[in-house]
Amino acid sequence: MNYLLHILIMVNIYIILTVSANLIVGLANLLSLGQAAFYGIGAYITAWALMTLGLTLFPALLLSILITASIGFIIGIISLRLKDDYFILATLGFQIIIYTVLYNWISVTRGPYGIPGIPSPKLFGLVEIDGILPFFLLSSILAIAVIVIFRNLIYSPFGRALKAMRDDSIALLSLGRNITKLKTQAFTIASGFSAVSGFLFAAYITYIDPTSFNLDEAIFIISAVMIGGTGNIKGPLIGAAFVVILPEMLRFVGMPDNIAANMRMIIYGLILIVLMMFRRQGLAGDYKF
Amino acid sequence: MAETILHIENLSKAFVRSIKTARKKDAIEKISLLNHLDLTVEKGKITALIGGNGSGKTTLFNIINGFLDADQGSIKFINGRIHELLGKKPDTIARLGLGRSFQDNHIFDELSILENMLVAGKETFGETPFVSLFSPGRNRKIEKQKTERAKTIIENIFGSGNYFWQHKAEKAKNLSHGQRRILGLLRIFMADFKLVLLDEPTTGVNPEFFQSITDILNRMVNENKMSVFLIEHNMGFVKQVAHNCHFIHDGCIRASGTPAEVIDNPLVRNTYLGF
Amino acid sequence: MLLQLLINGIVNGAIYALVALGFAIVYNTTRIFHIAYAVIYMVAPYFVYTFFDKLGFNIWISAILAIILTIVVSLVMELIVYKPLSKKNSSGNVIMISSIGLMIIAINLVALFYGNDTKILHRDISDSIRFGQLIITYSQLLQFGGSLLLITGFIFFLKFSKFGIKTRAMRDDEPLCRVFALDTFRFRNYLFALSAVFAGTGGILVAWDVGMDPYVGMPMLLNAIVALIIGGVGKFHAPIVGGFIIGILQSVVIWKFSANWMEGVTFTLLILFLVFRPQGLFGEKQRLV
Repeated sequence: MNYLLHILIMVNIYIILTVSANLIVGLANLLSLGQAAFYGIGAYITAWALMTLGLTLFPALLLSILITASIGFIIGIISLRLKDDYFILATLGFQIIIYTVLYNWISVTRGPYGIPGIPSPKLFGLVEIDGILPFFLLSSILAIAVIVIFRNLIYSPFGRALKAMRDDSIALLSLGRNITKLKTQAFTIASGFSAVSGFLFAAYITYIDPTSFNLDEAIFIISAVMIGGTGNIKGPLIGAAFVVILPEMLRFVGMPDNIAANMRMIIYGLILIVLMMFRRQGLAGDYKF
Repeated sequence: MAETILHIENLSKAFVRSIKTARKKDAIEKISLLNHLDLTVEKGKITALIGGNGSGKTTLFNIINGFLDADQGSIKFINGRIHELLGKKPDTIARLGLGRSFQDNHIFDELSILENMLVAGKETFGETPFVSLFSPGRNRKIEKQKTERAKTIIENIFGSGNYFWQHKAEKAKNLSHGQRRILGLLRIFMADFKLVLLDEPTTGVNPEFFQSITDILNRMVNENKMSVFLIEHNMGFVKQVAHNCHFIHDGCIRASGTPAEVIDNPLVRNTYLGF
Repeated sequence: MLLQLLINGIVNGAIYALVALGFAIVYNTTRIFHIAYAVIYMVAPYFVYTFFDKLGFNIWISAILAIILTIVVSLVMELIVYKPLSKKNSSGNVIMISSIGLMIIAINLVALFYGNDTKILHRDISDSIRFGQLIITYSQLLQFGGSLLLITGFIFFLKFSKFGIKTRAMRDDEPLCRVFALDTFRFRNYLFALSAVFAGTGGILVAWDVGMDPYVGMPMLLNAIVALIIGGVGKFHAPIVGGFIIGILQSVVIWKFSANWMEGVTFTLLILFLVFRPQGLFGEKQRLV
């Protein structure tokens, strides 16, 4: 039972990551290889807020979202001026820079030693969220909240403008819309919400180190988005569930752990290539990527 | 004397590129596209711009609406106040009230017909993120107003029970070329522009749509008080719809007047029409 | 000390230049963002390991066989993935995601066969030459000499052969080449083969010195990409200069700070170039509309 709940908590964390990434990758058609950095910043801010500042649940979450979104805003302003490959390179560059900072700024982040013993968040200073069931409930509530917010965004005039920009940015420009502003808004929102995943991860696992937020993780997040499909809410949900549950399935069929780790990556890689060749909308997406 | 809405003075544009030739290493090749061009577009009229391929027509449009920079000159857009357009960005220029259509339509393929109209709407309230979350009532009201406006625009032109409104939920990529052209023009009504640049509105369109396009242009000017500046190759169409006409050749205006005058001008006949 | 670091920097720079040039051969001509190029760099020393360490072949024969097999791997990637995608006119993002898929598959296949641990090609300690305080190992000499030989060879080849003319023509205008009945896909096979020679040689030279594991490709690819961007896309001598700049810069970072900050500084340089001089040192400004 605990095992099942653990898997579901991880699914919830990845749902939030993929639903956020879908806003930039799927709707704005900007391939960002820097999403793990925002996930990581969110986790480190959470650790700081819960341990050092001693904040309760919602203030800590809010602080984590706000700071991550601000950093996302700055990175967005710099990298969104660039096009295509150059934008991707810029996000990749920031991903690596932030990882390097997390890894080497030992006086603040404890670097490779990581931060152990992150305390459980307290709800309004009263109820302590501790143990697997409360975390499952908390992560489910947050995941549902994020899904509702993004559903709302996708089907709002803002989402419509993003879809229009994805189709034809020249036409949208000639209709008087500020393309850079739209992109920056989408980028900032997506990075801010990645912090929710970071919050859950830090508070649930109670230990963080930089390797959870490296380039491989960024690629992993994008893979989840691609596998599920882009443009709607259903796609990222399926993608997140798939990438978290597949390794457990492999274990279930009795594959030894040392082989399973490599096998599941090979399966992700194969799926990515096959999807890009024959089904660019992913398993359940609206748009051909 | 009619009022002016667009006044272009001494506009020049050249593309410069360095080329490597066998003899000289870094020679510079200068291709002059616009050459001290002067031009005026009258308010509330349809003005046509004619000229051969490569004479600088589309370049001129791209400079007016900000897609390209010019080397020198000035473009004054008079809409209540006088705005200098050179140096402004395309979206800023569009928000001042200057819109355009494209030769290749530039329709939002994955959006429905109705969404194509709504995206063009002048009111951008709901396009700020989270507004629909925190202010759902106002957002819904504005969306409803926009939808009503789209309906009115379409029904004014095609009557009730027309194709576009019946298929409003259909994705725009399923439309024919002519229908896309018309959707591109309908979109302009939504945005409430004061001056629109139309790049070859009839080119590549099935003649069955000519009447609709003529009708739309007349409505733009007569009912919506827009001014229209269009590029066109179809002289019959120009004679039919335009009030004024300019002939561009080698990057500057060589003849101006009514369409009949310009088309009868010997220079235009020799260099462009060829009869 | 500084001089020693400078020499190390120049030697590393030569390798970066070599690998970056191989990446540029593909990127400048086809615009394929060949992320799986990281794998090409990584597999070559594993082939040497198989022939030389496991089967006991002569080192030169092992190296030649390894390069041939590396070329085969590169061609398989082109023929199975890139060519079909290019024929479908897939967008750059689609090709990049597929390339990421290829990379994930190949890294994990190698990890499955050879394990995740670091492999060493030869156990005897490399001899070195001393000039007073300075030490230059034979491995370093080999790296520098090998890189320089291939790079200068390519530059002469590019200038004076028909192949070079075609390469430059394809760099300038690929559709036009097709119009002139140049079988661009057949030509692309040569390009992928050539780039595999560059990456494979680089991989073997470095692994001969410090060994390899399945993950060595990515950091090297990232350095190569930065070298390409700061040199300037489109010019073949640009990544060479870029490679040496990064090599020397990294030595300075090691001298002043520590090796851990190396990647962070390299990518900060990338971001600075992307923002202030996206065309690189030697590239020409591109028209945006």
